[in-house]
Amino acid sequence: MRGLAQAATSGLLIGAVYGLIALGLNIVFGTMRVVNFAQGTLLMAGMFLTYWLWELGGVHPYISPLVTVPLLFGLGFAIQHLFVSPLLARERAREPMSVLLLTLGLALVLENVALLFFSADFKTVTTDVSMQTFKTAGLIVSVPRLVGLGAMIATSLGLYLFFMHTDLGRAVRATGQDREVARLMGINDFRIYGVAYGLSAAMMGIAAAVLVPFFYIHPGVGTSFLLKAFVIVVLGGLGSMPGAALGGLLVGVIEGAVALWVQAAVAQIVLFAVFVAILFVRPAGLLGVERR
Amino acid sequence: MRHAGLALLSIVGAALVPFATRALIGDDDYWLQVLIWVMFFAYLSAAWNLIGGFAGQYSIGHAGLLGIGAYTSSLLYVHAGVSPWLGMLAGGCLAAVVGGAIGYPCFRLRGAFFSLVTIAFAEMLRVGTELTDSLFGLPINGVRGFLLPVAGSRPADFQFVGKRGYYYVMLGLLVIILTVGWLVKRSRLGYYLAAIRDDEDAAAALGVRPARAKLLAMVLSSFFTAIGGTFYAQLIGFITPTRTMSLDFSVQMVVMPVLGGIGTVLGPLWGALVLVPIGEVTRALWSGSLQGVHLIIYGALLMLVILKWPQGIDPWLRGLIARRRETPVAAQPILGDAPLVTAHASPDGGEALLRVDGLSRSFGGAVGVRELSFEVAPGEVVGIIGANGAGKTTVFNLITGALAADGGDVWFAGRRLGRESPDARNRLGIARTFQIVRPFIGLTALENVMVAALPRAASVAEARREAGRWLAFAGLGHRAGVIASGLSTGERKRLELARALATRPRLLLLDEVTGGVDQRSLPGLVRLMQGIRAEGLTLLVIEHNLRVVTALADRLVVLHLGEKIREGPPQAVVTDPAVVDVYVGATVARG
Repeated sequence: MRGLAQAATSGLLIGAVYGLIALGLNIVFGTMRVVNFAQGTLLMAGMFLTYWLWELGGVHPYISPLVTVPLLFGLGFAIQHLFVSPLLARERAREPMSVLLLTLGLALVLENVALLFFSADFKTVTTDVSMQTFKTAGLIVSVPRLVGLGAMIATSLGLYLFFMHTDLGRAVRATGQDREVARLMGINDFRIYGVAYGLSAAMMGIAAAVLVPFFYIHPGVGTSFLLKAFVIVVLGGLGSMPGAALGGLLVGVIEGAVALWVQAAVAQIVLFAVFVAILFVRPAGLLGVERR
Repeated sequence: MRHAGLALLSIVGAALVPFATRALIGDDDYWLQVLIWVMFFAYLSAAWNLIGGFAGQYSIGHAGLLGIGAYTSSLLYVHAGVSPWLGMLAGGCLAAVVGGAIGYPCFRLRGAFFSLVTIAFAEMLRVGTELTDSLFGLPINGVRGFLLPVAGSRPADFQFVGKRGYYYVMLGLLVIILTVGWLVKRSRLGYYLAAIRDDEDAAAALGVRPARAKLLAMVLSSFFTAIGGTFYAQLIGFITPTRTMSLDFSVQMVVMPVLGGIGTVLGPLWGALVLVPIGEVTRALWSGSLQGVHLIIYGALLMLVILKWPQGIDPWLRGLIARRRETPVAAQPILGDAPLVTAHASPDGGEALLRVDGLSRSFGGAVGVRELSFEVAPGEVVGIIGANGAGKTTVFNLITGALAADGGDVWFAGRRLGRESPDARNRLGIARTFQIVRPFIGLTALENVMVAALPRAASVAEARREAGRWLAFAGLGHRAGVIASGLSTGERKRLELARALATRPRLLLLDEVTGGVDQRSLPGLVRLMQGIRAEGLTLLVIEHNLRVVTALADRLVVLHLGEKIREGPPQAVVTDPAVVDVYVGATVARG
């Protein structure tokens, strides 16, 4: 039983990071109804930035968001402005599907450009916290992973406050509900989209900071996390922010607990079974809202 | 006919290629191999195109289906000695079931969800296979994958020495999939899918069942994708989950049709012809950290095409080969046997055709419609008027099932409507037009109307005839071959009327037919509506133009902030001070 609890705890902690990425996906989807395939690439970019800050400047990964978050926000805003906005202006459909293909192309380009310049070698950052653990209630807790959970909770809380209690946050939500009406109310929808995209990119700076001390950095890292985030988003509910957090933790726990308890293959089968069950019972996801 | 001849010539030409390469470069199979890859990716892209292109549902997990095909036939071959020719069909059927099962829940929701689910499915299938060493006692070796035994030249077991055998098999498969695409495109399903891709709600309002059409396309697409998987396994002789179910494959199946011309029959072929050689060349030139160069080119081309050239290569190639011919239907004046609108509007013994009873719907805190009740008798024309935001279009959405009511009932032809979807309600006899016209912009005017006629027609040919008559009735006969995006607003309104009429409704809901139309088109549209009225069809009309609606309607219902404030004969209603007050506005009335 202790082994199981231990595995569940580890799973929960890594699930928090998954949740953070899924949250980023859902911010973009919730606002402009676009699935952003470049999300993983932005995470990869954030991880490399964090790596260099450490290698070249000796900046501790936990400090690096001060630099990476604004940089990634700018990058996200620019991507939105350069590529996504022209398409959104052309496509009036409620779910502009061509944007999905566009971000897929962008992800292909960025990931392989990274491969070109940085090679496929795995890089690591070993900091003072990387290997640290402590024991509580008989459970071994990895410090960097606990920081990950803390970061997810703090980021979610920050986002909640932003969306609920600031004018800009309300404007983002309003645009997500009805772009046309928001525009009639004097909201510049394209600026709002830029903010949403930038925000979700900026979050990858935070995810990168908590990942780098205990995870390999390589050009394909973003895609592997992105694919997990897709599973989470389907489970938790497309566009639902609590759903993303919940789905992330759920996937983390299933992977961690079942993998250790039985074996990794069974964990995947369990995950798949949960996925299919939810798909049929609640196709919109656990906390998703079916729109009609 | 000329096209069929050209196609036949190309096939014969392609069939001769192995002999040509043998004559020119001896037994060096490299170029043959490149051609096999071109055809293989063209084949996969064409299979993807059935759901992704024709239906506009972008699957990004087709590699999972490819893997199902590869593993099914290979496992059957290795462990049960079943010939891959049979295993191929088994894998195809299994993939069709799986593809249908993942598509089914998604197709009730909207586009992006399907993309997410397919990619999540393929990813979980890949990781699951990588971690699984045996399945029901069959060793599948997890991430290591397995080798297929090499049996020498055994065509019955899908094994050939050298590349020529595989070349011909692939050529055959490619011809088959392109033929399937061509047949689907011209079939009932093809028209439905094209309409759904352009505007799913509008298609449903015409009685098309969107979920069913998409499901069918997905099943077909999955079947053929898995067959490609078997071919891949036999050609390479070695399969691993990491390769056969890779995101790379899924993405290439998307990029090629998009570049070639998404939703066209031959687009996948053009895309593969351009991209596969690029991949071969870069891979031959560079390796190591340059191994992803071709993916950079693919990604950049994908972005470029989407941003600057969304139609892809196909339309441009067609333009090069031949000036596009206009559909000849345009020339046929068919008013001789003009359709009788009344044929379907038989009265039900004095009972109201439509009865709305205590209907309510709110949006968050805002009232859309509150406690609304009114009736429409068979053959009657009832107008709904009211200021912007009075809830007029909401009433239509509630009657047609586009919105679910919070409370109250809609009775139609003596039957209480419950959870019927918009397409089911259309098949019961309720048709509508949209305030902001929603033509299927990729289809011609004639094809737009065909979509509406098809659910009730015995054949595509019959629907085409029927559609021609309705187009003529709507005064658009001369524009039959024009792509709908090239029609003027007035023409689009006529098109929408023709479409709604072609569903043979018993009740037609007209939402602001004269709205947004220039003054010159107005009299014609009014005449058209009067023509429909004269045929005796029951109409419910939302209309801003009071002159038009008072001339057309037998009775008016006035809505204000979601509630009915007056009902009665047009002249009495429009002169009622209370109506003038809310409708025209107090200031104007005083002035």
